[in-house]
Amino acid sequence: MSEPIATLPVSKRVDEAASEAASQPKRRSRGFKQNNAVGYLFISPWLIGFLLFSFIPIAISLYLAFTNYDLLSGGEWTGLRNFERMFTQDIRYGRSMIATFKYVLLVVPLRLMFALAVAMLLNTKRRGVYWFRAAYYIPSIIGASVAVAVMWRQLFGPQGVINAIAQLLGFDPINWLGNPDTAIWTLVILAVWQFGSPMLIFLAGLRQIPSELYEAASIDGATSWQRFYRVTLPLLTPIIFFNLIMQIIANFRVFTQAFIVTAGGPLDTTLFYTLYLYRRAFNDFQMGYASAMAWVLLLIIGFFTALSFRLSRYWVFYETKEG
Amino acid sequence: MSRRHFKFVLLALTFILIFSLGSAVLAQDATEMRLVWWGSQSRHDRTIAVVEMYEAENPGLDIVYEFANFNDYWTLMNTQAAGGELACVMQQDYAYLSEWARRGLLAPLDPFIEQGLLDTSTIDDTYLEGGRVDGQLYGMNLGSNSQSIILDLDAFEQAGMDLPDPQWTWDDFEQVATELHDKLGIYAYGSPDLGDDQIWTAMMVSLGVNPFNDAGTDFGYTDDQPIIDHFNRLLRLQEAGVIQSYEEIQAAASTGPENSPIVTAEAAMQYQWSNQVVAIFSAAGENRHFKLWPMPRPEGARSANYLKPSMFFSIPEACEMKEEAAKFISFFVNDLEANEILFAERGVPVSSGVREHLQPMLDEVGAETFDFLERVAADASPIFPPNPPGYNDIRNNVWIPLFKEPVLYEQIPVEEGMAIFRSEAQAILAGNE
Repeated sequence: MSEPIATLPVSKRVDEAASEAASQPKRRSRGFKQNNAVGYLFISPWLIGFLLFSFIPIAISLYLAFTNYDLLSGGEWTGLRNFERMFTQDIRYGRSMIATFKYVLLVVPLRLMFALAVAMLLNTKRRGVYWFRAAYYIPSIIGASVAVAVMWRQLFGPQGVINAIAQLLGFDPINWLGNPDTAIWTLVILAVWQFGSPMLIFLAGLRQIPSELYEAASIDGATSWQRFYRVTLPLLTPIIFFNLIMQIIANFRVFTQAFIVTAGGPLDTTLFYTLYLYRRAFNDFQMGYASAMAWVLLLIIGFFTALSFRLSRYWVFYETKEG
Repeated sequence: MSRRHFKFVLLALTFILIFSLGSAVLAQDATEMRLVWWGSQSRHDRTIAVVEMYEAENPGLDIVYEFANFNDYWTLMNTQAAGGELACVMQQDYAYLSEWARRGLLAPLDPFIEQGLLDTSTIDDTYLEGGRVDGQLYGMNLGSNSQSIILDLDAFEQAGMDLPDPQWTWDDFEQVATELHDKLGIYAYGSPDLGDDQIWTAMMVSLGVNPFNDAGTDFGYTDDQPIIDHFNRLLRLQEAGVIQSYEEIQAAASTGPENSPIVTAEAAMQYQWSNQVVAIFSAAGENRHFKLWPMPRPEGARSANYLKPSMFFSIPEACEMKEEAAKFISFFVNDLEANEILFAERGVPVSSGVREHLQPMLDEVGAETFDFLERVAADASPIFPPNPPGYNDIRNNVWIPLFKEPVLYEQIPVEEGMAIFRSEAQAILAGNE
């Protein structure tokens, strides 16, 4: 009890010292502030846009996640009711989780493998390689667009090209989009086909691997598989890691393809998280529930990103650290 | 940047802000009335023409309109309602009317009828009934329609079969369908699927019960057997290849009315609301012959058809010129010239004067639709009360994904699906207490 009184003069002295120290560069600090004001003015178009259309809505959605807001009525505070409903009562929520995880687990490795394979093919000095690089990148530019999704629907439709080819080869036509077992695969194939951006990053990574390493390995008698496994892969792990994180984040948010190609069906096998969230928000107008779903998705993505970073120390090799 | 420049920039920004606010205020002209609807291109063109006609007759009134397709429209309306910016005349749907009225978003129309602003003298009360919520009129019916089965007359002739009894039962349907399939080798029935939630509600009406209780807190019936029987029948038929399987319907779902199985002659019958048959009749062309038939009913039940307002015009409570809005609605519903342009596109007109006026001008499809509604009206069942709040939730998140699809994909038995449907739907309805 008596101690605070004893220390009082000391702390006062410290305060005085601090205020003295602060008083000295006062002029400079004011100049700083003015410069900042001009700076803020220059970025104000972006800043105002960010505050109005991103930050404030995000903050409000956090509040709405704990209400039953449905646009027409104000929305009462319901506490954790939305989250409780999500995890204990909503059967479709469980289905959408299963569909999303299945999709992410299929697409992320497949797309990365495909992108790496194509990148290695294109990492040569053959003629026309630039043309091929551009050609292989194009699907990813247009890939997430509505037009490609519509095209995909036609390709896999009952009278689509895929079935026509199957029939030519003597197979029975398959109802790709209507069958709960095959529908998700049409979306997986679409996603894998859009391997362009990880491919470009892999390509850049491959070019950075010094050719001396391959030469040395060849002299030591390494086969091409060994060169890939012992030289390429370890040196590429930081790039693989970067692509992995980007792909995990992007694929948890898959929307357009499922919205247009399969509409979430059949039997909710392609009812991806964001699609279900969108339906709850804009078909059922359950904005509170949808906001809660959005925040859970953020946590899920955050968790898997953090987990990837955690696990990365066991397999990602940075040249600068030890080697 | 010098201090002077800084001040100049600030000043300029301030002026821009003030001017933009000022022009926004000036745009709030007193004689401006907003009108919103959903629909197809044909409806947009017709409605805009009538709006221009009304503006010409009422100088000084400027009608600003907005339109969208059904889903976007409701997103837009809900957003506007949340922002307190609803239009003066809005198209309403039976599925939403009671919810909107009970939340105080809509103004009752009865005072305008009493004041003589909204003329209902040529409109039979049965047509107005569907727009009433808790005894007050919240929606002006813009046209009536009813569910129908389109029959391909050529297919029946080719099979050498008589048309079914108009008072046919679902047992008759099964028999007719099987015979058609056996004789012609095509699907007797294609899409849309017969597990539609509106077939369920119609079935309840024909059994003399309401789908929901008056308070909207529970179902209005306890016996699920008729629905279970119906779905068992659908399973039998799709297994036998008599009707298109749900899997095939799903794959073809979004290809539009022009590609529907009855148009491509892959099927001989199709379920459709009577105001939506025009696209199918015209896509099929003139050398095909279709007829609208009443819905099959459960054994021993009354008619499974009821006259439904296809859509309404309502006046939101937020509107500041409700009298003007009421006058416009009155014109829209009663004016003969305007209805020559609208031409029953929103369903068969409710005003008897308009109906008589249009009758001689009708084309084949129009005549068939008018005639169908007259045939149906003779023994139609009374319409059930507007759906309770949460109906769309029940339809989108329970009926379709938890009951209809798993059952028609043969993942779970009908009884099990029905039990899930009942308990999940009850959980949603309990929220209305």
